[in-house]
Amino acid sequence: MPMNRRDFLKLGSMSVLSLALASKLQWSGARVAKATQSLSSEQLHVLNRVTWGITRADIDRINALGIEGYVDWALDADNIPDPLVEQFVATDPLYWQPYEHIEAIARDDFGIVYTAALHHRYFCAAYSEKQLYEVMVEFWTDHFNIPIEDYLVDKIMDDREVIRRHALGKFRDLLFASAQSPAMLYYLDNAYSYKDHPNENYAREVMELHTLGVDGGYTEQDVRELARILTGWGVRDGFNNRFYFDSYNHDTEEKVFLGRAFPAGRGIEEGLEALDMLATHPSTANYVCTKLVRRFTGDVPPQTLVDSAARVWQESDGDIKRVLRHILLSPEFTAATGQKFKRPLHFQVNILRAFAPHFEIYDENWIIWNTEALGQMPWGWHPPNGYPDVTTAWISTGTLLERWNLGMGMPQAVEDWWEGGRLEMDALIPQVTTAGELVDHVARQVLGGEVTDADREMLINFVTDNVGDQPISYEQRLDRIQTLMGLVFNSPYFQWY
Amino acid sequence: MTISRRTLLKTAGVAAVVGVSQTLFPAWMPKLVFSPTAKAQAERDVLVAIFQRGGMDGLNAVVPYAEGVFYYDRRPTIAIPEQEVIDLDGFFGLHPALASLKDVYDTGALSIIHAAGSPDPSRSHFDAMAYMEKGIPGDKATTTGWISRHLQSAAWENDSPFRAVGIGTMVQSSLRGPVSALSLRSIADFHLQGREDHLSSIQQTIARMYQIEAPNDLLQAQARNVFSTVDLLQALNASDYQPANGAIYPDSDFGMGMKQIALLIKAGVGLEVACVDIGGWDTHEYQGGSDGEMANLLRDLGDGLAAFYTDLADYMHGVTVVSMSEFGRRVTENASQGTDHGHGNVMFVMGGGAVGGIHTDWPTLAPEALDDGDLEITTDYRDVLGEILVKRLGNNALDQIFPAYTVNARGIINER
Repeated sequence: MPMNRRDFLKLGSMSVLSLALASKLQWSGARVAKATQSLSSEQLHVLNRVTWGITRADIDRINALGIEGYVDWALDADNIPDPLVEQFVATDPLYWQPYEHIEAIARDDFGIVYTAALHHRYFCAAYSEKQLYEVMVEFWTDHFNIPIEDYLVDKIMDDREVIRRHALGKFRDLLFASAQSPAMLYYLDNAYSYKDHPNENYAREVMELHTLGVDGGYTEQDVRELARILTGWGVRDGFNNRFYFDSYNHDTEEKVFLGRAFPAGRGIEEGLEALDMLATHPSTANYVCTKLVRRFTGDVPPQTLVDSAARVWQESDGDIKRVLRHILLSPEFTAATGQKFKRPLHFQVNILRAFAPHFEIYDENWIIWNTEALGQMPWGWHPPNGYPDVTTAWISTGTLLERWNLGMGMPQAVEDWWEGGRLEMDALIPQVTTAGELVDHVARQVLGGEVTDADREMLINFVTDNVGDQPISYEQRLDRIQTLMGLVFNSPYFQWY
Repeated sequence: MTISRRTLLKTAGVAAVVGVSQTLFPAWMPKLVFSPTAKAQAERDVLVAIFQRGGMDGLNAVVPYAEGVFYYDRRPTIAIPEQEVIDLDGFFGLHPALASLKDVYDTGALSIIHAAGSPDPSRSHFDAMAYMEKGIPGDKATTTGWISRHLQSAAWENDSPFRAVGIGTMVQSSLRGPVSALSLRSIADFHLQGREDHLSSIQQTIARMYQIEAPNDLLQAQARNVFSTVDLLQALNASDYQPANGAIYPDSDFGMGMKQIALLIKAGVGLEVACVDIGGWDTHEYQGGSDGEMANLLRDLGDGLAAFYTDLADYMHGVTVVSMSEFGRRVTENASQGTDHGHGNVMFVMGGGAVGGIHTDWPTLAPEALDDGDLEITTDYRDVLGEILVKRLGNNALDQIFPAYTVNARGIINER
């Protein structure tokens, strides 16, 4: 395009402007808590990113194992004892019952099953010892997004048999399981795709969102060809809604997909071959690694880390654990502190973790609806791309106020008039003699670290009514501690991680 | 379902977390002054941009029923029968669920642009939406939206926090950029909560922790917005709003969004641009014909637009509403009695300035006229937006808003 000088200068000033903006968004001030004697800033960073919120147990463990040892321990999720989740499932086993059992209950009462599914999700995120695994469950839930309301029981099966089964496994297994998952087959319409009129929805999204990425080197013709290849991949109603290949509806003519000739006369095997091409494609390594690096570093994933992670991906045939280990122990990851903004579910679950183990939930619905008000109903995102993972999508005027109101409201559970649950504040925060000690204890409990001196002083002055640090009585503590904790939940430190 | 929203709200109400009723700003905090002068508002229209997410099937919204077999044979189960179409000009007709829009059309305040859209061939929702909202089809590097660049390049000042408002929990891409936009889900009950005797300290502490007097990042800027918004909405008494002229908004997210925008326009708080979304248009299966899934969406859209028009009758001379969707849908229906992602689509422009009627360089649905099986685009959506920007919003800096594109005005709207 020919461009005159004036236009050129204008464009120049525009890009300067967006650079200025980008640098603002990358602002590196005191966004996250400071290190303490018992937790270095590097350790704090790792815990912030691989958990749903730092607890004392996490701090003890990373001190005992070191960062590398901690990461290896967290990746080996199958061998982490998880007594709280086991006890939860033993008490409320509905989520893990056979399909027919859940389906029979859901037919009578959708709400019971729906609530059980959501409660299971919150409980595991907040209280499972397998925190990195739960972080990855969240990642793949977005990556292979399926909204729950239209496919309740099938979605539960998808969560169990696709997402949770393979969250730290091999990407190929995850992709194949997803492609044959009834919830996905319904949601992206492949169950309604027949040889006469193929439905392109799944064929497009599996390439654009699950594997190659939109710039991964496929054409509109490839979308049509893959749709033809996958005709007949559907669900057999009445047979526990299992995957079913219907050869009658399968297009057996010749196809050409991503440059490879698919001869005529084949059945399900050509779909498997096509998925295998996608699973092993270099674009898939690049695309999924870009998303993983964004998840663990920030909005602008460092290209060097994306490239090296994609190499590990290719060498290990999409071994998710090996790729994560590489990312979490990389210098690019270590440098990326305070770049991520907690999404609403993270914010909510993190509060539950800050209360652990001295909090009892009375009404899980109250907690779920709070997350919904912040804009992230779990499994509530309708388009197939999953909830966004960039800061700019989540910082908004309305939801920031809702955050503050939630952060201020939840510590009030101590008084027992908040019906969502009950918090044993005296057990959570030790007895102290001064306002300064109280602020430090609350900050460590909520943030894992400390706030800046200026903010510490301001919080102390809230406790003492502006007379600075001094001894406080138990009554003073009682009068201030909930609001003090609410202020820490509402501080910028608790929003970034 | 056993979950009842009402019960939950009641629970929250029982909690003694007390809302603020007295003035929110402690004496120490400087008022965040803004100056939307009446004169400044009179000089340009308020723009309301509606995004129909998912890709509306424009061929069933504004039906080219006179195409005959080219339309009817390709849509055996979902076509709108000729006798049910609301005729507009002997060739096109509205879907019956858009009946309330016909009233607006008859007043001459609705212009319909057919075979319009974004020229980029992408059939990906996310790319197509991003291209459309960023205003630069095919360019992924741009991070700012076309509306944000419009505000940035505008020659006038307006430091109202309500200058640009997005309805919803997330800021629309078109609003993202250097001019920070306000996003709201609901403007009723917008106040800071906490123990009443602590409230003043809570405000003071939060305001200082977020450095709202000199915001340094996006979060701090939005924190500042929260404080000024709370203050202003309290003054507006937003929860008691009653629409004028008997207008009844649909009880939907879209309807509520349009109602809130109407309130802000009437309140004269400096609103220049509002964005509202209406989702659910990705009708791959069972989209229905005169009734059904898409009919319900169209009814929501049409009734919401018509209620807005009625409610704002005295203001419409200074308001322009424009709708868009990332792409249209295939001409031929699929095996699931739905339609897959296509290309050309319909845009609506409503307002006192609209040149009523159908505006189209109709490419026809003849097989040889189709673009890869889809309706061809003969009007770039930027022609529509650009004409509005110049004629109604007083911004000529189209080279910044739509770089590398020359807007070709189609006469869809009159000069102010």
